[in-house]
Amino acid sequence: MMEPLNVYASRLVNSKEFFVSGHKSCQGCAEALAVRLVGKALGENVIVSCATGCMEVVSSAFPHTSWDVPWFHTAFGNAAAVASGTEAGIKAQVRKGRLPEKETVILGMAGDGGTTDIGFQALSGAMERGHNMMFVCYDNEAYMNTGIQRSSATPLGARTTTTPAGKINPGEEFTIKKNMPEIMVSHNIPYVATACPSYPLDLIEKVQKAAKTKGPAYVHILSVCPTGWRIPSEKAIWIGRLAIETGVFPLFEVVNGRYKMTFKDLELRPVEEYLKPQGRFRGLAPEMMEKFQEQVTDNYNDLLKKSGLK
Amino acid sequence: MSDKVNLTIDGRKLEAPAGSTILQAAKDANIYIPHLCHNDELKPYGACRLCVVEITHRNRTRIVASCIYEVAEGLEVQTVTERVLNVRKLVIELLLSRNKKSQVLQDIAQKLEVEKSRFELDIKGCILCGMCIRTCKEVVGVNAIGYKSRGFTREVATPFDETPPDCIACGSCAYVCPVDFIQYSEKNGVRTIWNTEFPMQKCTKCGRHIAPVKQLDHFKETLNLPEDHFDICLHCR
Ligand SMILES: Cc1ncc(C[n+]2csc(CCOP(=O)(O)OP(=O)(O)O)c2C)c(N)n1
Ligand code: SF4
Ligand code: FES
Ligand SMILES: [Mg+2]
Repeated sequence: MMEPLNVYASRLVNSKEFFVSGHKSCQGCAEALAVRLVGKALGENVIVSCATGCMEVVSSAFPHTSWDVPWFHTAFGNAAAVASGTEAGIKAQVRKGRLPEKETVILGMAGDGGTTDIGFQALSGAMERGHNMMFVCYDNEAYMNTGIQRSSATPLGARTTTTPAGKINPGEEFTIKKNMPEIMVSHNIPYVATACPSYPLDLIEKVQKAAKTKGPAYVHILSVCPTGWRIPSEKAIWIGRLAIETGVFPLFEVVNGRYKMTFKDLELRPVEEYLKPQGRFRGLAPEMMEKFQEQVTDNYNDLLKKSGLK
Repeated sequence: MSDKVNLTIDGRKLEAPAGSTILQAAKDANIYIPHLCHNDELKPYGACRLCVVEITHRNRTRIVASCIYEVAEGLEVQTVTERVLNVRKLVIELLLSRNKKSQVLQDIAQKLEVEKSRFELDIKGCILCGMCIRTCKEVVGVNAIGYKSRGFTREVATPFDETPPDCIACGSCAYVCPVDFIQYSEKNGVRTIWNTEFPMQKCTKCGRHIAPVKQLDHFKETLNLPEDHFDICLHCR
């Protein structure tokens, strides 16, 4: 766990950019930061399939591009299918001797909508078929690119344009966030991890492990969206930290089915510290807050048990 | 310096900035050469010899370390020849003899089809690549660790093997070590590295640990900051 070493050690990280500046993301967008860090982690030897969503829209307005590596724009739902096809195609060409074996990393990426909703079956299929590829979900907990509509990754109690304030309830999402990392673990793939750009060295380490994994790998990255979460842009990194410190978004890895918590002896802070600064949770009823806390604690304890810490 | 030179790597015609190395030129062209002791942020050094390639220049063919060999006009480079692979195999055997357990070394060995090292050494695991020492000097700028002794007994060490007086517990040496030889841990507000315990500074507002006190003192001194500058963490300000 190298995360606390971020002052000087960060200077040793690849100084080259593969997702370069000049893109059109909002100020303080931690999703763009996550993409940039993933780019640094993977280097030049990669082919990216990118679903429609903020990260595609901000980086590829014709005739410009922010990508300094081979990159596909796929439809909204098929990033994983395109990535798996790329992998299969390259494998065949190498077998026929038409391409040299270069161990190119095949990366599929999408937002939470493109992963947990419309891209779900393509991803499930790609993982289940055992392709040698990795998939990264940049989870900002709603369809941000089209104006903050709820997705199945939207957390309990969050206000979006499709879950607005009502008269009785201050306007909230009533369902619990879909547990995507767990669904990926259930695919029995060799590597699953969660990460957050507020912990950049850890994110880079996990992405590199995913890339090295033989077979399918999945990394779920919590990507704070100041616009959709209604927070000041300079708070994005801090809110990401709070998500981890409160246990709302636990950082862990599952290598060949074995769970490993990234922070072993974290004393969880109350979720209120995470919810309060965010406009999307404004006016959250105390019962909802309690329900939120309960669910976070249960989920966290469950993870501790699975990783043999409890 | 911004002049370009033309060279070929594995038959591919490439252009590279004069003064850059073969390893950099290859990397830019997405041609992979294994390497262990190179980091773009550190000065070229050439310790591990894993990055060897075969070059032909003015009708002479020889083996060089690509991370310290500068590109030149008309240079022909082959990154995978029988001779290159033989050298790399020997190198990885020698490295493995110093550290059998390192996953990084094992992975490289596997790719080179080396099953195990023919050499047995009683060495604790450091491969003497010098990444840690160079990082401490070139990136951190404190020079807290260095080499001790020569030949077989050479080691990375703190001065006189004692508590390192200049170490600020930044941990960059542990981060950069390719074989995870340098031990580092953090518990209950104390960071332990180089057998020394370094207390961490607590934020007086939120109680979170900011960084080792010695590291913050180092910032204050080098940047001429007020004594209470780090009493409160970035986010509580
Ligand atoms: C089939 C289809 N339906 C709807 C859209 C419109 N659309 C484009 S991006 C997007 C939402 C993307 O949300 P998410 O995947 O979470 O990525 P984010 O923008 O939040 O990063 C939608 C609904 C589309 N492009 N294709
Ligand atoms: S301790 Fe690590 S980085 Fe330092 S010389 Fe030894 S192997 Fe290299
Ligand atoms: S990378 Fe060239 S000698 Fe180590
Ligand atoms: Mg989204």
